[in-house]
This record gives sequence, structure tokens and C-alpha cells, in this order.
Amino acid sequence: MTSWKRWLRPANRSRALFVAGALTPVMLLFFVFFILPITASVVLAFYRYSPLDPDSPFIGVRNFLNLVSDPVFRKAVRNTFYFVLAAVPVNLLITLPIAIGLDGVRRRWLRDSLRAVYFLPTVAPIVAAAVIWAYLYQPVNGLLNAFIGHLGIPRILWLTSAKWAMPSVIVMSLWQDIGYNIVIFLAGLEAIPSVFYEAAKIDGAGRWHLFRNITFPLLSRTSSFVLVMTMISYLQVFAQMQVMTNGGPHDSTRVLALFIYDSAFRYNQMGYASAAAVILLGVTLLLTLLALWLTRRMSQWEY
Amino acid sequence: MNQARSRGAVGPDAADLFWKVLSLTLLLLGAAVMLLPFLWMLLSSFKTPVEIIRTPPTFWPENPTLAAFSTVLTRAPFFTWMRNSLVVAVAVTALVLFTSSLTGYIFAKFDFPGKQALFVLVLVTMMVPFQVVMIPTYLIVARLHLLNTLWALVIPSAVSAFGVYLCKQFIEGIPTDLIEAARIDGAGELRIFLTIIIPLIRPTLAALGIFTFMASWNNYLWPLIAINDEHKMTIPLALAYFTTSHHGARWDLVMAATTLMVIPVIIVFLFFQREFIRGLALTGLKG
Repeated sequence: MTSWKRWLRPANRSRALFVAGALTPVMLLFFVFFILPITASVVLAFYRYSPLDPDSPFIGVRNFLNLVSDPVFRKAVRNTFYFVLAAVPVNLLITLPIAIGLDGVRRRWLRDSLRAVYFLPTVAPIVAAAVIWAYLYQPVNGLLNAFIGHLGIPRILWLTSAKWAMPSVIVMSLWQDIGYNIVIFLAGLEAIPSVFYEAAKIDGAGRWHLFRNITFPLLSRTSSFVLVMTMISYLQVFAQMQVMTNGGPHDSTRVLALFIYDSAFRYNQMGYASAAAVILLGVTLLLTLLALWLTRRMSQWEY
Repeated sequence: MNQARSRGAVGPDAADLFWKVLSLTLLLLGAAVMLLPFLWMLLSSFKTPVEIIRTPPTFWPENPTLAAFSTVLTRAPFFTWMRNSLVVAVAVTALVLFTSSLTGYIFAKFDFPGKQALFVLVLVTMMVPFQVVMIPTYLIVARLHLLNTLWALVIPSAVSAFGVYLCKQFIEGIPTDLIEAARIDGAGELRIFLTIIIPLIRPTLAALGIFTFMASWNNYLWPLIAINDEHKMTIPLALAYFTTSHHGARWDLVMAATTLMVIPVIIVFLFFQREFIRGLALTGLKG
């Protein structure tokens, strides 16, 4: 239908000029800063590359083999899964009830103010949030230890013990970003027509029944979207680890993103870091496909 | 809608009231937890260096002082950081709005060879984590001699796959007849874009603009890689640098610096709250 010949006709020339003139610079930027880096990253993963070393030989899958046997990388993968598998379910278990609660608040100003408060931490720079929590978690004069001290509980080394560091970072991360999912769930809830609830109430349905048979199925599309987006974003968690613990103590909070950053920019092993990044890319793509599949499956429930 | 739902046909009974009180109590408690870290930041920034290291800590400052703020503002290039962040965020937002609406318009309303392939290419980049592109991007920016300049923070962020996708979605809803009519009246292509398309997608652009601005303002990982000159730093980078390099033990200074960085964002958010939340719910965008 669209052929070059038709485009070169005089009548279409100004349109063709507009498209070409506008698209060329934009596509150039997309190419240089997105397409090229993605390709280069995959290529780099098969080289031993350091910006300080003039010699960068092709080494096949050696980077990947080295990664698999690197105890720090394995730890980073485990920590990333720990973070995702712990923080994502807790996130959903907190945000959905809060959204349902907010949806039930009848006074508009109260509902909007509460929503704003829950959303507030997500707009603050994540570095600022990490610094504030690092201070709350201070072992000797932090607010948290002072509080549990009042209750007679001994001090906890929140960020400086291998056992507590990850849970502490997870709590901070949840505080920082539950606002997003609350707002998305709330929008999903507001979209459910109230006739459904009224009809069910006339039939004498109880609170649990309303949730189980109306809210839950009609929210399944929103929920699967929230689930997958949260997983993808948590897989890339970086700033709070880098600022609060820098991966420590004993690598207990070293996640994949931090491993990639350190390998590339502290140790200058850019090929090695790219191989790790390619693995992260693979996992992300799998999750994205899962997302597409889930939304398609769930759409049968849509009203 | 909600009134109808909660009053219902059955009417409020004791169980209903119980649930209502319980859920409101929990919501208010949760809101207090959300605010407490900010309150603690604010209170700590008014404490003296002596009070801040007391064990156990005092909650309310005993001798509130602005000393920490004046130290931060005079000893650190705070206004330079603020200006850098502002320059970068404004430039990135303006560029993203322009490139996204223009490209979205072309993908929505023009037909040309290779269009589908180009659009798919743009969409693919949306799914890729930044950690995957950051190493080659660093090498490219280094080759362009842009490291340690604000250009390094602006140019790679001048286009947004998500922005293009969003604008295309909304521009597709605009009737093509409107554009054809303008063409018959003799309007040029650029003029049609500026005077017809842009005004019609203003709400979308407002949402996209706010998010782009915030994402740029809060971005940490890329500035961390591209900038190491103290005078070229943006606010998040500067805060991490300030905390870890000089003042890790001076929590009064760190909290004052954090307060100075958080308060403007909160004010902007409260001001644009509606657009913000509507935009988020509309797009399901994650920061």
C-alpha cells in the first residue's frame, strides 16, 4: 500500500519532507542511545573488555562461565531473588487492603489527603529516602533503636548485621514505593461499577463475598499488571543498596544491579559486567512475556 | 457512586460501623508511619551538633537552630547543585515532550514504508532495564567527550519510548478529518502539529511532563556514572556524595541537606497532585 513511488509524488512531497525531517533526528537519538547500546551490551558480553586495557579479546561464553562459578555473582542473584520474592508479595498484601480502605472513605477531602500522604515518599528522591532511613536505622542514636529500647528490646544492628540488613532495606523500599501500587489499585477499584455491589447486597452478600466474587475477579487485570511491573522494577533495585549498605555487610545486600555497576565502574570489567547485564535482560524479558500472557488470560474477566 | 455503595439497600448496621471505624483507624495509623520519617528528618535538621549525638535521641529539638542549614548553604555548593538539577530536568522535559508528541503524531497519522518496523524498534527499547544499556552508553558518551558535563545528562534522555507510545495512543483518537480539513485550508504540516495536535493532547502532555521532570530530578544511577566533578552534580548524586564523603558523622548537616532537597519536591507534588495521580492512574507508569 505504502510504496516509495507514491511518496515521491509531488502532492505528497511536503508530507514526506515533514516525516523525514522530524523522524530522522529522533530516530538517530533512539539508535545511538538505545538500539546501539543494547546490541553493544550483548556483543560486549563475549569479550574481555576494560577501558584501561588496550587488548580486548573475544572469549566466547567465558564471561558467563566465570559468572556462574563466581560466588559473589551467585550471592547477588540469590539476594535479588530474596528481595523480589519477599518484597513483591508484601507490597501487594499491603497495597491492596490500603486501596480498598481508601476506596471506602466517603469524605472526598479525607480520601484525597490520605492518598497524597501514602504517595508522598514516591516523589522524594530515592537517595533522600535512603539517607533518611540510614539515619533512622543508626545503631546507637537512631530513632528505631530508641523506640524498641523503650519497649525493653535490645538494640538491633539494622544495617550492619548480615541477618538484618536485607529486611531493613526491604522495609525502607516498601515505605518508599507502595504509593504507586496504591494509586493504581485505587483507580482499578474506582472503575468497578457500583451496580455490581448494590445487586449483590440486595441478594444479601456479605463483605467477604463482595470481595471474593466481585472485587477480586474484576481487579485481576489490574493486579496482574501491578504484580509484573513491581517484579520488573524490583529486579533492578539499586540506589537504596548503594547508598545505605553498599552491598554489605558480607555481600548480604549485594543485588544484581549493584554487582553490574561495581564490576563495570569500580573494577573496570565491562565485558564481565555486560554478561551479567545480559542475564538481567533475559530475566526481564521472560517476565515481560509472562505479563503479556497474564493480561491476555485475565482479560476474559474484564467487564 | 461511593455513597450509593456504602449506604446500599441493607443500610448501615453495627458490623458496618465497626469495619468503617477499624479501617479508618488503620489508614490513619499507616499515614502516620508514612509521615514519621519526614518528620524525623525535619526535626533532626533543627538540632545542634551536640543534641544530635545524644543517646537516646531527643524527639523534639531542645534548642532549635538554623545553624545546620546555614552551614550546608555556605560550605557546600548547594545552589549549584540545585541549578544543575533544574537545568537538566527542564531541558529533558522540554525535549521529551517535543520529540514524543512529534514522533507519536507521525506514527499515529502518517503512513510510510518501514513504519511498523520502526515503531516496534521503539517499543522494544521500553522493556530494557537501564543496567543493560548503561555500559555502552557510558562508552558512547565518553567517545563524544560529554562525560562530566550536563549534556551527558540531557542528550541520552531527550527521547522516550514510553512518551512516544503514550502520545501515539492519544493522537490516534483525534479524527483524521480535522487534519485533512486543515490541509485543504492550506496549513503547513508543522503548523497543523503545533496548532491542532498539541492543544488536543495537552492533558497527556501534562502527565508525561510531570513524570519526566520527576524522573530526571530523582535520577541517580546515570549521573553517578557520568558525573564526578562536584560542581556538575545533580541533587541526588550530591546528597549521596555529601553523606558518604564528608559528613557521614554529622547527621545534623545531612538531615538539613536532605530537608533542603526534599521540601521543594513535596511542594511541587502537593501543587500538581491531581495531574500527578490522574496521570499515573491513566498510564500505569512506574517511576
